[in-house]
Amino acid sequence: MSSEIIQERIIRKGAEANLYYGYWFGKEVIFKYRIPKKYRIEEIDKNIRTTRTLNEARALIKVKNYGINVPQVFEIDSKNSTIVMKYIQGYKLRNILSNLDEFKKKKYFNEIGRAIAILHKNGHTHNDITTSNIIITPTEQVFLIDFGLHEYSDKIEDKSVDLHLFKRVLISSHGDDYKFCFNAFLEGYRTEYGKQGTEEYKEIINNINAIESRGRYIKSKERL
Amino acid sequence: MKKLCLGIESTAHTFGVGILDFEGNIYSLKNDVFVPDKGGLHPVLVKEQHLNNFMHIIQMALSEASITIHDLDLIAFSQSPGLGPVLKIGALVARMLSQLLKIPIVGVNHCIAHIEIGRLMCKLEDPLTLYVSGGNTIISAFESEKYQIFGETLDLAIGNMIDMFGRDAGLIHPGGPKIEKLAQESRNYIPLPYVVKGMDLSFSGLYTAAKYLLQSNGYGKKYNLNDIAYSLQETAFSMLTEVTERALAHTEKKEVLLTGGVAANKRLQSMIENISQEHSAKFEVVPLKFAGDNGIMIGWAGILRYQAEGGHTISETIIKPKERMDQITIPWRF
Repeated sequence: MSSEIIQERIIRKGAEANLYYGYWFGKEVIFKYRIPKKYRIEEIDKNIRTTRTLNEARALIKVKNYGINVPQVFEIDSKNSTIVMKYIQGYKLRNILSNLDEFKKKKYFNEIGRAIAILHKNGHTHNDITTSNIIITPTEQVFLIDFGLHEYSDKIEDKSVDLHLFKRVLISSHGDDYKFCFNAFLEGYRTEYGKQGTEEYKEIINNINAIESRGRYIKSKERL
Repeated sequence: MKKLCLGIESTAHTFGVGILDFEGNIYSLKNDVFVPDKGGLHPVLVKEQHLNNFMHIIQMALSEASITIHDLDLIAFSQSPGLGPVLKIGALVARMLSQLLKIPIVGVNHCIAHIEIGRLMCKLEDPLTLYVSGGNTIISAFESEKYQIFGETLDLAIGNMIDMFGRDAGLIHPGGPKIEKLAQESRNYIPLPYVVKGMDLSFSGLYTAAKYLLQSNGYGKKYNLNDIAYSLQETAFSMLTEVTERALAHTEKKEVLLTGGVAANKRLQSMIENISQEHSAKFEVVPLKFAGDNGIMIGWAGILRYQAEGGHTISETIIKPKERMDQITIPWRF
């Protein structure tokens, strides 16, 4: 076994963090480095980078126990706001969605719904579910990534907001596929959440409409 | 003679009239801005001022362009979104002119007009737009036939929030430019709530916290108004910049456009410019004259819609105070 830590190359410059591909004691890993942002002042920057790094690492470790596919965390370096995690090979769902056939779309979105339901049942919200934050591996497994905005919550409102944000992303980025995909997503969500024997999922899904009606520029008669 | 359009902006504090031709050459721009003695914008008071002044503003615009009212070929007006009573004045004037002069009329969404005038002025093809003003806080880009909203405020608009704080601090409306000045005098940051959900923002907690600082015991001792102004601006603009950057990474657009009244803020400009460079995107701020509410932007968006779909019938010119811009197809973009 190699005992080296090597950052080989940058593979993605995200909004918040840079991802480097490399090796960590012989394992293929990603170094997720939350970069200092020059646009914001030191006090705000430092606070955001440290809290989100710790928050994400804790969340990844925790939710992995529920059987959701997320990258395994190997090392946390809060001082340099870096997480070392397992490298997941695959494609961002955003980039392949339009080329998928209906069967595959249904399968993946069912699976995403199931994963989010497991998160929610256990009192977690992701808060940034987008098709850029979902990876499909060559073996057709669905991985959730980017837990930087994750929160602990049992509130129906927070869970609905989570679903609402995902719906918005589907509409804005995948307008043509939105209905089919979101319905498949909700189907997976309902099935998994329903296993707990309560009807909480109904409240959560119905509450999406209430959240939308609170948005800006909604006709007053459409308000609930 | 080139075809001429008269655009009427009447959604909030500004009654604006602009005259331009169908190629985008500008002949005149006149604004009348409502400034409250105290408090914010009361729709009825704003409406009354616009009603009293619209003839005068139109006449000034016509004489600046050295044309008569009979040279016009199209009337465009702001149909949505905005304060109901105020929108009605613009619609009323537009219908009247259209019927008297027997020329077509076209209603325009105010937010779309902001983006379109930005594209024209800054010569951009397909930008990600951050539209920040007293009434709106929107991160938008064109996708699937519409100007989709990727992120927006969940409660207060950024300009509204800053103006409200300004009033609490005893500054005269509008507070934005004064807060910007005060903030330059301080480097003492007081931590304030930073709320970002996905690409959406919330400013109400930030406003309340800043307001409490004004009332707390430490005010005038541990920190002064400059420090609160500085902290408020840094926190709010960092939030805006963060979600803009996230939308930029998500949409992978190559251009960034900053518009709306708050776009005049130099600190915000430098922050958005910084992230644009990080993502190798071209950054442009709409020239101040056209970034705030004005008649030219309404005229230009009206021309685009008229050329794509023709004019509206009078019954189609009903005002829509609550219309969202992501519900409107943009035929001239595809």
